[in-house]
Amino acid sequence: MSDGKIIGEGYNCFETDKRAQGTVLYLPDPNAVISLIQSGKLKEHVLLAQGGTTTFLAPALSMGAIGVITLSGAPESHLGILSREFQIPCIMTAYLLSSEARYVTGGENDAHFDEVIGALNGKNVSLNCTDGETGLIELLD
Amino acid sequence: MAADYLQRYEENDDGLRFQELVYTGNFVDMDPVPDGILGDRIMKSRAVSGVLERVEIEAVRDDEFTIAELNDLNNYLAWNIWDVLVMRATEGASGMIPRQEYELLALMHEFYRWPELLNMTTAEIGAQGVLDLGASSRSEIGTKINAVHDWAIGAAGFGMGRCALLALEVIGPDDYIEESSSILKFMQRVLWGKRQDGWILNSQDRYRCQIHTPEFLDSLTPAIEPIESGSPPHDALIQFNAAAELLSFLDHFDCRLGLGDTGPYQLPNGNVLIIRDLFCNEDAYHWSDVCDHEGVPYCYTVMLEIDPQGMGLQEIRVNDISTTFTRPKNYIPNVVGGAIFVREKWDTPIEDVYPVPVAELGPRLTGIQNATFKLYTKLSRMSRRQLIMNGMYVYYVGMILPHLRRAGTYEKACVDYDFWEIDQRISNHYYEIGKRDFAKVTVPNKIFSGAGYLPFSENADRGRSKYFWG
Repeated sequence: MSDGKIIGEGYNCFETDKRAQGTVLYLPDPNAVISLIQSGKLKEHVLLAQGGTTTFLAPALSMGAIGVITLSGAPESHLGILSREFQIPCIMTAYLLSSEARYVTGGENDAHFDEVIGALNGKNVSLNCTDGETGLIELLD
Repeated sequence: MAADYLQRYEENDDGLRFQELVYTGNFVDMDPVPDGILGDRIMKSRAVSGVLERVEIEAVRDDEFTIAELNDLNNYLAWNIWDVLVMRATEGASGMIPRQEYELLALMHEFYRWPELLNMTTAEIGAQGVLDLGASSRSEIGTKINAVHDWAIGAAGFGMGRCALLALEVIGPDDYIEESSSILKFMQRVLWGKRQDGWILNSQDRYRCQIHTPEFLDSLTPAIEPIESGSPPHDALIQFNAAAELLSFLDHFDCRLGLGDTGPYQLPNGNVLIIRDLFCNEDAYHWSDVCDHEGVPYCYTVMLEIDPQGMGLQEIRVNDISTTFTRPKNYIPNVVGGAIFVREKWDTPIEDVYPVPVAELGPRLTGIQNATFKLYTKLSRMSRRQLIMNGMYVYYVGMILPHLRRAGTYEKACVDYDFWEIDQRISNHYYEIGKRDFAKVTVPNKIFSGAGYLPFSENADRGRSKYFWG
């Protein structure tokens, strides 16, 4: 059952009834990750990262991140594996339903990334990860 | 959903498809090949030699492969690499560690440098000694002589390394045949010694890595504590497993050398056991000092007992890079038992490996979390060049470090063979791979896709190596 308007989707890393709900926070670099950890507000946010690798979000995952969205990667990526192990709902290679743009492996993706980041950053969302293949990003307000 | 995963082990079962993509490789005029059990069967059927079937020990003791055998191994490894890594190719830039760059440099470095290091080791301990290296892991946990490292000798050092050099156009398809044979022979011997069933790769055996002897398993399983899904002990075990796995990734620069699964083992009660080594503190790497400071040992081994009926298990794969995938994907809620073992150092005698009760994991989890944050902070202050060079060592040194250490040839490799030096050709390639997006494009499009693994010519001169460079 949907809690809000579905605005995006992507690969679902694992099936779970857990709902990650919070304000999307885009993390552009490691310093942003460190600042978030030190702020004590980690659990208020669904984290948005560009890459699908795990090291970039390492301390956030270890300290209890509630949900993750990435703009590339797949459940077989290291971040996909670790989100399953931590049971952190995670949607990878997310895209907007309102746009035709999609991630291209090895391609030029900057405009696509900017569009998704602009649309999601700061929004209150819920991650619906019940389906085995596709995760849904629902807008709550 | 009823669990029918045991059907995957029946002779004519094709297994499930874990992805929609298909593989072509060098078989451009033939039907594309899918992933999984069916893909393995098709690849074996396309082999010219018998090297992809169960191999007798006499053939493993032979010192060289024929050209046909080399091509069969090249094609199979290309499919196998695609099978386990093609979806990882979508992950893009790290934001932390320039992984595609360090991977490319390391792979090329391995192809150039490993042949003489592996030949030296074989000369020191003999072919049987190399087989015994593999066999040593049958009765040990917390050892890096494991699936991913053994696979990497051939798949990374030969397959991907040669593929990268071909893509960079600094070697031709018929160069370095003897060296290729040296790398693959070492891989075959270690893997054969480890499995001892005639296969060398998990994918050849329906993704099983059941290497431990029943006697050894019997010595471990009494430590398994039953735990109830959703209970505090379940949460503690799962959190610990995930945090240790994450640190193992980070300590190994976001690569899978820190992780080693074996199994699935069938328990007497019908449940499935996965044994997972998590190498959280590799003392060969200077950045692991933060792990020392937090009291993190070399390896935590996590035993996970999974209820296949509870999750309706359809297929379980322990692939050749030591990682477990299941369908359905989420096995964690159906972990119904677990145990943790500690190996303090890489050379701690197996008799001194000890269990830790789940109830006592708290302080150890804190140590892992602190080490993760400190290591992350340390890495975030490294320059791009430092990150690439360090990552390059994690692959180039780390993939054969356990074999050389166990063989007693590591010191000789360092002193007599400049193991930790960087070959001048690799230093030059450092600049080349940054041009025209070579690293960003080549890794996913040539290496992970299986498209760049050119065959050797049938009548190529085995001694032809590097006499003309132009």
